Amino acid sequence: MRVPTSERALAYVILIALAALVLIPVLFGSITAFKPQIIWVSSPPTWIFEPTLENFEFVFIQRKGWQYLRNSLIISSGSVIIALLLGVPAAYAFARFRFRGSKALMQWLISLRMIPPIVVGLPFYAMFLFLERGLNIGLRDTYPGLIITYQTFLLPLVIWMMRGYFVELPAAMEESAMVEGYTRLGALLRVVLPVVWPGIVATAILNFIFAWNEFFLALILSGNRTSTLPMSAGTYIVRTRVEWGNLFAVNLIIMVPVIVLTIILRRQLVKGLTFGILE
Amino acid sequence: MKVVLNDLVKNFANSERAAVNRINLVIDDGELAVLLGPSGCGKTTTLRMIAGLEQPDSGRITIADRDITDLAPKDRRVAMVFQNFSMYPTMNVYDNIAFPLHAIKMDRKAIDQTVREMARLVNIDHLLERGVRQVSGGEAQRVALARAMVRRPEVFLMDEPLSNLDAKLRVQLRTEIKRLHQDTGTTFIFVTHDQEEAMTLGDKIIVMNQGDIQQVGTPHEVFFAPRNAFVANFVGTPSMNMLRGRARAGDDGGFRAELPGFELRLPDRFAAGLRRMRGDQVIWGIRPEAIRLVAAPAENTVTGEVELVEALGSRDLIFARVGEQLFGVIVDALESAQVGDTCHLHFDGAKMHLFNAETEDSLLQFSAAEPA
Repeated sequence: MRVPTSERALAYVILIALAALVLIPVLFGSITAFKPQIIWVSSPPTWIFEPTLENFEFVFIQRKGWQYLRNSLIISSGSVIIALLLGVPAAYAFARFRFRGSKALMQWLISLRMIPPIVVGLPFYAMFLFLERGLNIGLRDTYPGLIITYQTFLLPLVIWMMRGYFVELPAAMEESAMVEGYTRLGALLRVVLPVVWPGIVATAILNFIFAWNEFFLALILSGNRTSTLPMSAGTYIVRTRVEWGNLFAVNLIIMVPVIVLTIILRRQLVKGLTFGILE
Repeated sequence: MKVVLNDLVKNFANSERAAVNRINLVIDDGELAVLLGPSGCGKTTTLRMIAGLEQPDSGRITIADRDITDLAPKDRRVAMVFQNFSMYPTMNVYDNIAFPLHAIKMDRKAIDQTVREMARLVNIDHLLERGVRQVSGGEAQRVALARAMVRRPEVFLMDEPLSNLDAKLRVQLRTEIKRLHQDTGTTFIFVTHDQEEAMTLGDKIIVMNQGDIQQVGTPHEVFFAPRNAFVANFVGTPSMNMLRGRARAGDDGGFRAELPGFELRLPDRFAAGLRRMRGDQVIWGIRPEAIRLVAAPAENTVTGEVELVEALGSRDLIFARVGEQLFGVIVDALESAQVGDTCHLHFDGAKMHLFNAETEDSLLQFSAAEPA
């Protein structure tokens, strides 16, 4: 289909305007991250200055930013891996088998996505406390604790997204493999998963971003040992002032891995998010 | 290999009627059997039970006297070609054909040899490096055929493999499947709702409706000697002209049929069946090919008016109105009629069909030994 030049130009104008709306604050903040402390909040803003890495040095070394980064990486990737390991087979089952209550279960899963984190945050805290005192199972301020908690939000997303991909595929695809000498699991691994791979990548990225950005549950359930990057960002907003340069440095540290990940996997991501549309 | 279905039953949770209703069937070694019927008749479910993709509620399935009812699909030594799936999209043609061989851990050299041989057999040996996007629908279905044959199955199952192809390709592949059957000598079970496809392919046609087998026979048998009104109506295009009426004994000892608007003398071969029948309600039928246009009224002719003429090539299909009833008549194009013409339709007694209106069974006598 050919789009007339005038329409194309209009589309670009609108898209650029929207992108600017989102990106200008990001750009402004990112510039501040490289400003020396003295001009963080100068008014009017200083545009010409000698960029410095002192903010990064401060948050990384003095404020142990690398620890938060490590915690965030472990918790986010751990959450995504567990969510995929549990969610992909579940999604396949929902797509292919009808069992008692399967429809209701799917609706319940989507409803989990709708509840605000605070609704589960406090009960999780109470449960963790009970497990700790009653059964001597410590989950507060541990990686498994947060990874388990995040499944509440990640699993429904994985199951809903992946079920959509599986439903698109003809059942005859794995049935064919089953007649040709494979078990259902073998057919799933060798035939179905390679086809839905872009979908898995897209699902993984969206889930990773959720876990990576998550603040509230981490605030309640983590502690000194497992604090994540978004929580560390909070520490730069203190009672008397906001340490803008340091805050924006942390911001950049939070943003960059997601951007890099998305760029590396962008082909799969686009394929996954447009699955079935372009065929 | 010989395939035997024994009292096979399958119900689906969301349906009150059985999908497959206690069917018995024997398909002989090397036969090309076609399961024919309208959608929802149970033909695909039957095929899927043979493949192991559906588990029967009761009954047994044997292949070459080996009971396979409880085996996983992969252990049944069958192969299957599907209607809406032909190629694994992440593999090229070569890897598609090799895929079943990896399951039995065949060595690389043997795989290569077998793949190339099978590809040659279905004329796709020049496409081996192509991906799923670089082959046509017909070529993709050939890949499915090659992949199905590659493990030399004992039974070859096909679930409407040609339905998604265009008409010309369908006819072409139909011929190739027939040739493949002759070359391999394997038992084929082919499912279709297309009666023309069934007639051209099958050694044996199994007509199904509503989960029951209606008739098992050669293409000629199901066409010329349908056992009931369903088979008579379903097999043959254009379909048989059928009328409900009453049969009564005539003055000359023979039977006559009182049909809406006219009366006919029935041939004697129905006499025994009519005498044994309870009640007198019948369905009378005659195929469009069995009606002739004659110049003047005589016995077993009716007079009507031509309402519509469809050209079929060398022949025309005429629709003639006789009272309330429209008759389809096939005539030679050169002897065709014009819309509005008055015509005399002659019904050949030897080609008439008669069914009990209540049971819809044929009133011809079939020997009891033959399975229904």
